Amino acid sequence: MRRLVWPAVALAAVVLYPLLLSSPFEQRLGALVLLYAIAASAWNIVGGYAGQVSVGHVVFFGCGAYAAMGAYAHFAWSPLSGIPIGVLVSVAIAAVVGVPTLRLSGHYFSMATIAVAELIRLIVTNTGYLGAAVGLSGPTVPRNIFDLSFISALPYYYLFLTVLGITLGITWWMANSRMGFYLRAIRDCERAARSLGAPASRIKLAAFMLSAGLTSVAGALYAMMFGFVDPESGLGILISVKILIMAALGGAGLLFGPLVGAVILVPLEEISNNLLGGQGAGLTFVLYGAIIVLIARFQPGGLLTLIQRLLKRRKPNPAPAVAAGASHAP
Amino acid sequence: MTLKPAIGLFWATAITMAAMSAIPAGRVLAQDKTVKIGAIFPLSGNAASAGVHAKAAIETAVDIINNAHPELGNLPLAKNAGLAGLGGAKVEVVFADNQGSPATGQNQALRLITEEKVVALTGAYQSGITLTASATAERYGIPFVNGESVAANLTERGFKWFFRVTPVAADFAEIYYEFLRDMKAAGAKTDSVALVHDNTEYGTSVSSVITSTFKAKGEAAPLDIAYAPNATDVQSQVLQLKEKKPDVVVMITYTSDAILFAKTMQALDYKPPMIIADDSGYSDPSFIKAVGKISQGAFNRSSWSVGPPGSTTALIAEMYKKKSGDEMDDTAARQMQGFFVLCDAIDRAGSTDPAKIQAALKETNLKADQLMMGYKGVKFDDKGQNILAAGFIIQLQDGENYVTVWPKASAAKTPVLPYKGW
Amino acid sequence: MGKAGDARERADRWRAHRCFRIHGGHGAKGAFAHPASLTMSIILVQVIVGGLLLGAVYALFSSGLTLVWGMMNIVNFAHGDFVMLGMYVAFVVYTLFGAGPLLGAPLAVLVLATLGVVVYFGLIRDIMKGPMLAQILGTFGLALLLRYSVFWWFGANFLSLPANIVGGTFVIMGLRIEASRLLAGVVALLVTWGLHLLLTRTSLGSKMLAVSEDATAAQLMGIRPDSMQAIAWAIAAGATGLAGALIATFFYIVPTVGETLGIVAFVTVSLGGFGSVPGALLAGLLIGVIESLSAYLIGAVYKDIVVYTLFLCFLWFRPQGLMGRS
Repeated sequence: MRRLVWPAVALAAVVLYPLLLSSPFEQRLGALVLLYAIAASAWNIVGGYAGQVSVGHVVFFGCGAYAAMGAYAHFAWSPLSGIPIGVLVSVAIAAVVGVPTLRLSGHYFSMATIAVAELIRLIVTNTGYLGAAVGLSGPTVPRNIFDLSFISALPYYYLFLTVLGITLGITWWMANSRMGFYLRAIRDCERAARSLGAPASRIKLAAFMLSAGLTSVAGALYAMMFGFVDPESGLGILISVKILIMAALGGAGLLFGPLVGAVILVPLEEISNNLLGGQGAGLTFVLYGAIIVLIARFQPGGLLTLIQRLLKRRKPNPAPAVAAGASHAP
Repeated sequence: MTLKPAIGLFWATAITMAAMSAIPAGRVLAQDKTVKIGAIFPLSGNAASAGVHAKAAIETAVDIINNAHPELGNLPLAKNAGLAGLGGAKVEVVFADNQGSPATGQNQALRLITEEKVVALTGAYQSGITLTASATAERYGIPFVNGESVAANLTERGFKWFFRVTPVAADFAEIYYEFLRDMKAAGAKTDSVALVHDNTEYGTSVSSVITSTFKAKGEAAPLDIAYAPNATDVQSQVLQLKEKKPDVVVMITYTSDAILFAKTMQALDYKPPMIIADDSGYSDPSFIKAVGKISQGAFNRSSWSVGPPGSTTALIAEMYKKKSGDEMDDTAARQMQGFFVLCDAIDRAGSTDPAKIQAALKETNLKADQLMMGYKGVKFDDKGQNILAAGFIIQLQDGENYVTVWPKASAAKTPVLPYKGW
Repeated sequence: MGKAGDARERADRWRAHRCFRIHGGHGAKGAFAHPASLTMSIILVQVIVGGLLLGAVYALFSSGLTLVWGMMNIVNFAHGDFVMLGMYVAFVVYTLFGAGPLLGAPLAVLVLATLGVVVYFGLIRDIMKGPMLAQILGTFGLALLLRYSVFWWFGANFLSLPANIVGGTFVIMGLRIEASRLLAGVVALLVTWGLHLLLTRTSLGSKMLAVSEDATAAQLMGIRPDSMQAIAWAIAAGATGLAGALIATFFYIVPTVGETLGIVAFVTVSLGGFGSVPGALLAGLLIGVIESLSAYLIGAVYKDIVVYTLFLCFLWFRPQGLMGRS
């Protein structure tokens, strides 16, 4: 029973957050945290669980964002209808790119993903149909509820929370399934896993495609909340790095790692901008960078492991209690 | 790995962040005697140079408004200290960094409106960010006055709270057309035009409008040389120009690429007969400091002119230079002018009620002698666009300072042709 | 250089095609009557020479990165910002002493090497123990820290060294070569050769290689891995500072320039093969030439698309880069 106290508190905090801190800015901040958590959790499937560090995931994010905005801009459909299109396109891209790229080892794989993302961004920048450099805009005034264009961030918050729940649910199911078993084996030592009969290439590709689809959903939701996407904001490398470091900071390969990372990094960036950004002296990023360096230096495995350890230390009985979500073999 | 320092670090971070998030809420709200305006600009990232200059410009404007400056002639709000229409209330500007991201821009707009309780917003330099930030302002019914973003779609959204003071691409294209026509009449060869532009929304929109304007007026379509911004090398583009030998080269570039182009043109010994820059990069004081001496004779489009010593504009330029350390450039001047227009409207509204400010903005009718910019005036159409915006052509004749050379009525000196370079 | 040769063949075919279109096939268009094709071949050679010089510069600022990446498996997201720091050192040297790269470059090497040691002991040593993600996280934070500390001190303005600080422009057989770029290119070759010699011919180099291959075994042989890695990091940072100081003679200086240059370094290093300094040189030259040719023949907006596409295709067929270990 005591094991459930902390998880229950955390869950309650997450669900009640926008009602407790109900200023528009705080609600929007919360929605943004959840949005990035969705993207980072999606990344986690291939980057954390499968151990394939993709630094080009923004290409899937952008697929979703452009599909959502494109559906509105070109066909006057609700941006929601762009979600299935975005998912299809990004899964297709993952399939096409994944086959030759997942063969590459470690850093070469990462570089190849950067190259793919940059390539797509450059192509989109030169494609008039996709708005070129001007970008695509969504509905400025919502026509109906399906346009998902709300003034208040409250509906976004709960929508994103639901999607995050689904994403984490899928991740948990995958991690506990045969696929997750294979992924752990592959992450630990691919050669050994292959020699034991694990269909490594297929499994990695499946993880890549799953991750791609979920990331594109995050991208579509982002576009709907901000009502705008352009090559820099939808396909820029900074987004890839951001979702990656959120997962890394919280703990890659752990179910709630990306959420922890998002909870720390997104408010950190916003609040340091609020306090220091207006001076124009660059201090926002000095602070932000310094804190990231400190965290990386002292806790390279991610903060969630630290939190888990803290929680374990407080428990009197030495039973190997598992904090909510950690689902990998010791 | 030692656990204790890590635990300490974790708690330190958590407590710091909790403390930081508490601070804004605890701040003293604006007093009745202060009018709070929000300003969103890129104060970090690639466009930070423009944003930091914008901040200095607006701070100069705040100084002019809040203190008595009878020496500044007919400039509204200069004579008295504070806003006379609100009983001498002072203007306070809260700056926010948009970090070059439309999402951040929008979040900051939200924060300024809902937490800082600003009565109006200005900004945001990049057109995409102006788009998202003004969308938030529109939703909340807060006036948004933009002084410098040129994308056409900003005034095509049917917004009621968005006002744009600056001329736009269509105006520039007209200016170039008329200027080239006058130069041709004076004997220069202007048959072939090349447009060198980056493929950002600024570069593509301005170049496409120039192309369509020229074609509509029966001129040959300009040669289009596009490139990706923040280039590491522009040799190929300069070689293409060297090969094609156009009579006029129009440079639609940001500062970084403008500097590279100037250096590369010198290295490859390329001097077009005429260079016209579309503001932006060539107006940046950094450009002039870095490569002004090898770009002598470059024309530039501007609505700002320093004017003779002792004139209102010269005095403003001096005040700005004290604050920023740099010469006033057209972009910063346009932002400053936008801010003045906004404050003038607040003054006329006599109230901080956004609806009243909106009404006052709609009724704006400033005359040319009340402006620091060379516009014919400020009057908004029902899309929110200033229909009296205008511009000059200036020339970097000595490599250090721009002088106005066109139209004849406002010219301080005659245009010097051909382009001298170095 | 097989690939450059292929590129040249393709360029020749393009040239012939264009000459046909302009002179023969469909007649010259109006205002842009075309001069003799001899001029065009000079221009093409100029493009290629310019591309080689550009590529040499790429190689110059990538050599430090390939060293740490190959030896210590460190993904350094702050690399571009190290180059930026080298540029600022050169600027400060000029502002304070009026001196050019003769003084600026050695000082940049010194300052950056010191910084490299500090960064190694302060951050890198600890994140090396962690997964690749920790390295990306840490070096990304470092990048922001360095970039915006410089921003805070120097401001956002674009700075520049005077145009003639390294001579002017040589004109050789109609080709124009900037002295500053030529200097950077020559230094690139020297640095590549020097680093290669260091790694393969000196005992320090073999110690460093030993540590990179198997730190525990090296330790058992009496080599201190910590010192070797710190030295490797210092050398790499110094080389990067040198690159920055030389680039500052012909490029603009701004705090965010590291973003632009960083990704070029990444592509160069992975194309060349992580850890191979000669590979980085080759890759740099290749990328420089391909970039310049595609910019000239197809259009500057497409040049990066061509480079990335070729890069991807190359990786897919030869996953260890040009000269990387299999």
